[in-house]
Amino acid sequence: MKHLFNGLTMVAIFWATATVSVAQDRGDIFPFPVTTFQTENGLQVVGVEYDSPGVVAFYTVVRAGSRNEVEPGFSGYAHFFEHMMFRGTERYPTDAYNAVIKRIGADSNAFTTSDWTAYYIVASSDELETIVDLESDRFKNLRYSEEAFRTEAGAILGEYNLNFSNPVSLLQETLNDLAYTSHPYKHTTIGLLDDIKDMPNHYDYSIQFYDRYYRPENSVIVVVGDFDQSALERLSEQYYSDWERGDFVPSIPQEPKQFEERTTTVGWSNPTLPFLMIGYHVPAFSDTAIDMPALDVFSQLLFSETSPLFRQLYLEEQVVDVIQGGALDSRDAPLFSIITRVTDATRIHDVRDAIYEEIERLKTEPVDTAILDSTKSHMRYGFAMGLSSPGQIARTLSHYLQLTEDPQTVNRVYGLYESVSPDDIMMVANTYFSDTNRTVVVLTAEEGQ
Amino acid sequence: MTFRCFLLGVCVIVASSLGCSTGSERVETSPTVALPVSNSPLVTLRIGFRVGSIHEPEAQKGLNALTALMMGRGGTASMSYEELTERLYPWSASISAQFDKEMTVLVGEVHRDHLDPFVTILRDLIVTPGFDEADFARNREFLTNSVVSTLRGNDDEELGKETLNALLYAEHPYGVPVNGTEDGLAAIELDDVRAFHAAHYTKGNVIVGVAGGYPDGFVERVELEIVSLLPNGDASPMALPTVSTLDGREVLLVDKDAIATAISIGFPIDVTRADDDFYALMVANSYFGEHRTFNGLLMNKMRGQRGLNYGDYSYIENFIQDGGSRLPVTNIPRRQQFFSIWIRPVPHHNAHFALRQAIRELEVLVNEGLTETEFDASREFLLNYSKLYVQTTSRRLGYHMDSAVYGTPYFIDEIRRRLPSLTVTDVNDAIRRHLQSENLAIAIVTSDAEAFRDRLVANDPSPPTYNAKASSEIQAEDLLITSYDLAINPDRMRVVPVGQMFRR
Repeated sequence: MKHLFNGLTMVAIFWATATVSVAQDRGDIFPFPVTTFQTENGLQVVGVEYDSPGVVAFYTVVRAGSRNEVEPGFSGYAHFFEHMMFRGTERYPTDAYNAVIKRIGADSNAFTTSDWTAYYIVASSDELETIVDLESDRFKNLRYSEEAFRTEAGAILGEYNLNFSNPVSLLQETLNDLAYTSHPYKHTTIGLLDDIKDMPNHYDYSIQFYDRYYRPENSVIVVVGDFDQSALERLSEQYYSDWERGDFVPSIPQEPKQFEERTTTVGWSNPTLPFLMIGYHVPAFSDTAIDMPALDVFSQLLFSETSPLFRQLYLEEQVVDVIQGGALDSRDAPLFSIITRVTDATRIHDVRDAIYEEIERLKTEPVDTAILDSTKSHMRYGFAMGLSSPGQIARTLSHYLQLTEDPQTVNRVYGLYESVSPDDIMMVANTYFSDTNRTVVVLTAEEGQ
Repeated sequence: MTFRCFLLGVCVIVASSLGCSTGSERVETSPTVALPVSNSPLVTLRIGFRVGSIHEPEAQKGLNALTALMMGRGGTASMSYEELTERLYPWSASISAQFDKEMTVLVGEVHRDHLDPFVTILRDLIVTPGFDEADFARNREFLTNSVVSTLRGNDDEELGKETLNALLYAEHPYGVPVNGTEDGLAAIELDDVRAFHAAHYTKGNVIVGVAGGYPDGFVERVELEIVSLLPNGDASPMALPTVSTLDGREVLLVDKDAIATAISIGFPIDVTRADDDFYALMVANSYFGEHRTFNGLLMNKMRGQRGLNYGDYSYIENFIQDGGSRLPVTNIPRRQQFFSIWIRPVPHHNAHFALRQAIRELEVLVNEGLTETEFDASREFLLNYSKLYVQTTSRRLGYHMDSAVYGTPYFIDEIRRRLPSLTVTDVNDAIRRHLQSENLAIAIVTSDAEAFRDRLVANDPSPPTYNAKASSEIQAEDLLITSYDLAINPDRMRVVPVGQMFRR
C-alpha cells in the first residue's frame, strides 16, 4: 500500500530521537493521523490527536504476557505482575498513587493477555504531565514489599475464583492444556490454580519478571485524544529517557505439530447446559501473509448470524443458543477456537458433526463472491464503528502495536482483508482444519445437576 | 473473528459514536432527545419505552424480556429474522434490546451510509414486529437457559446479586429477575407477547433518543415514522407498592458447589437522582465503595490491605457495568432504589470474616461519616471522573434520556452544579438520613450453606487467614472485626438449594 508521509521530521531534542507523522492514505482503514516518536533508550511513543475535548487516553503497552511464563510452576505471573504495578514506588507509595488518581478523577486500570499487558489512564487532558510522571515512575522505580506481594496473591486467587464459577473458564483451561504440549499457550493467562496458590512463595520471581520485561525497548506508549504532540514528546524525553534498557530475550518453546486428534470430557458440578469447544492450531499473526486475514473471514463465514451453520443450529434446529469461533491475533501460533452451548444434551454429537460438515464444505466449495463482499463490508464497517472514544482508539492501536510495533500494521491487515479470495478461504480450510490438528473438549453437568 | 459475549440474557448494549465536538443539543422534554454530532459517521438511536418487568402478570415473569427480544432478536411483519440479519450484516449495524424493571430500550447503531434503510427496519421491528413462532420459541428458550443454566450454574456473582434482589423485594414487582423465572417463562404464549406489546409500546410510553452524524430533518423523520405510528396509550406510570421493611439483618443463603463465597448486602433507600440528597450520597458512596477503583474504603481495606478477594464496592442505585468499562449502563431508571455492597467471591474460610468486615465498615460510616479531607478528595474525584461518564455520544444520549425520565436537568450538569456547593455536613447528614446498618438483606452464595448458617447463628469469632503477616494496626482492627456481633435475625434466615431459585 502507498503511504503519504507528511513531513518526515528529525526532532532535535536529542540526537537519537525521531518523530514520524503519517497522514492517512485514502485507502487506509485507520482514519486518524498517527505520529510516532522514539526516545534514545528505545521507547516508542505513538500519538493520535483526536477530537475529544478535554479527554486523553494514555496506554502503556508491555510486550509480555502469559506467553513469557516459560518456567514450569510459574503460570499466571504476567497477570500477577500487572497487579503488583499498582503497589507503589518510593515517590508514590500505593496510597499516594491512588490519591493522585483520585484527585484527577482518572479511569485507571490494566489488563493482561497471553502476549501483552496494558496499563491505561483516561483522564483530563490538563493532567497529561501528571499522568506521564506517575506512569514513568512506576515503570522505572517500582518497589513493593514481600508482604504486599503476598497480600496481592489473595486478590489473584479471588479473580481466579470469580472466573471459575463460569464453566467457560474450565473449558478454555482444559482445551489449552490438551492442545499444547510445549508452548506457554498451554496455560491460560490467569494461571493454573496450583501455581496461584503457590504464588505467595515466589516474591523473587516477580522481581525477576519486572527486571526482564518492563523495559523501554519492550514497551510502547500510546496516547489518543486532546493533547499537543510536541508537549507529549517533551514530556516523554523528560520522564522516560532515564529508563534503562534491558537485554533479556525469552526462549519460548516451539509447539510441535499435532499429529492426532485429542479429545476429553469434563464435568461441571453445578447446573449447566453442555458446552462443546474445539481448537485447531493456526499460524501466528502476520501483516503480510494472507492466512490470518483469511481465517478471520473464514470465522465470519462459519459463525456470523448470516452463516448457514448459525442458521441451521441456532435459528432452525435451535439446538445451540451460543455458537462462535475464531483465532486471536497472536505472536505465536494460536488456536482457532470454536465454542458452542448446546440446548439439548442428547444433540452434542449432532452439533459437533454439523460444524465439521460445514468446515468440509468450505474446503471444496468456493465461497460466493457476493457473500465474501458482504463479509468484508461487515468487517470494514465494524472496525469504523469501534473507534468512538479515545480509549477505544488507543486500545485498537495498542493491539496492533504489541504485535509488530508498527502503527501501519492495522492498515496492512485491513488491506489484506480486502484481498482475501475464495481460493484463500479454501486454502486455509484445507491447510488447518484437519482431524489430526484438532482438539475437542466437551463439558457437561455432572450427574444429579 | 466472530466472538459474541455470553450474556445472561439481558442484552445490555450501549452503542457508540464519536465523542467529538457537538452542534447544538436539542434536549426537550419527553419524548425526544437529539444530540447532533456533525463530524461523526455513526448514528445511535435509542427508542425507549417506560415498560419493564414490573408490568408482567404474576404468573408470567419474563414476559417483558421476551417481548423485548421479539424486537431485539426477531423479525418484522414483512421481514424474517434471517432476512433482517442479512440486511444489517454488511453494514455491521446492530439492533438490540435492553430491558430492566421499569424501562426497555431498543438500541440501534449504524454508520450514516446506511441510515435510511436502517430506520425503516427499526421502525418495523417496533411498530409491526413479526411475532414469529420460531423466534418466540428460540427467545423463550434463551431466557429460560439464562435462568436455569447461566444464573444457577455459571455465574455466582450474578446469582448473588439476583438473590439480594429477591430478598430485598419479596412481594414487590421488582422481586424477580428481569429475565423472568423458570415457571413464568414456561407459562407465556405468543399471544401474551402480542398483547403485552400492544398495551405498552405506545405513544404515551415512548422516549426517543437520537445521536450522532445524522442529517437535517432526521429527528422529525424518526418522530413521524416511528412515534406517530405507535398506538395511543396511557402515560401514567404503574403505581409501585412501598417496599417491605427489613426485620433486622435477614439472610438468604443459596447452597451450591461454589468455588468461593459470593456476598451481596443491601437495603432499600428512598432516594433517586430526582432527590437533592442523591448528590450528597454520591460523594459518600464514592468514598465508601466506588465501583472498581481503589478510591473506595472497602476496596482498600478488604482487598488492598488484606487480600481477601478481587474487589469490594458499594452503590446507591441499581448498577450494571457497561461492558468492560467501569461505568454503569444508562437507561435503567427506577423510581425506587437501594443501597448495596458487593463483596466479590471470598475463599470460604474467610467469608464469615469478610461479611463481618463489610457490615462493620458500613456501621462505622453511618456513625462517623466522612472527615473534611475525605469529603474533599471524594468530591474532587467525582467532579473530574464524571467527565468520563460521557466519553461517547451514545452514553451522553443515555444520560439525557435518564434525566428526562427522572424529570431533572441533565445529570452530568447537575453533578457539576451541585457538588461544588456541598459541604461535609451535607454529606454526613444525608448518610444519617438514608443509610443504616441495622436492617439489612444479606445474600450469600456458598457451598455447605447449612454450616455457614450455623456459624452465623452461633456468632462465633471468625479470625481470618492471610498470605502475609498483617501489620499491628490491621491485627488490632481484625480483633474487633473477628468478634463483631453480626446479630443476624435467626427467624429471617433461610437456606435454599440453587435448583429452587427463580422457579416462580
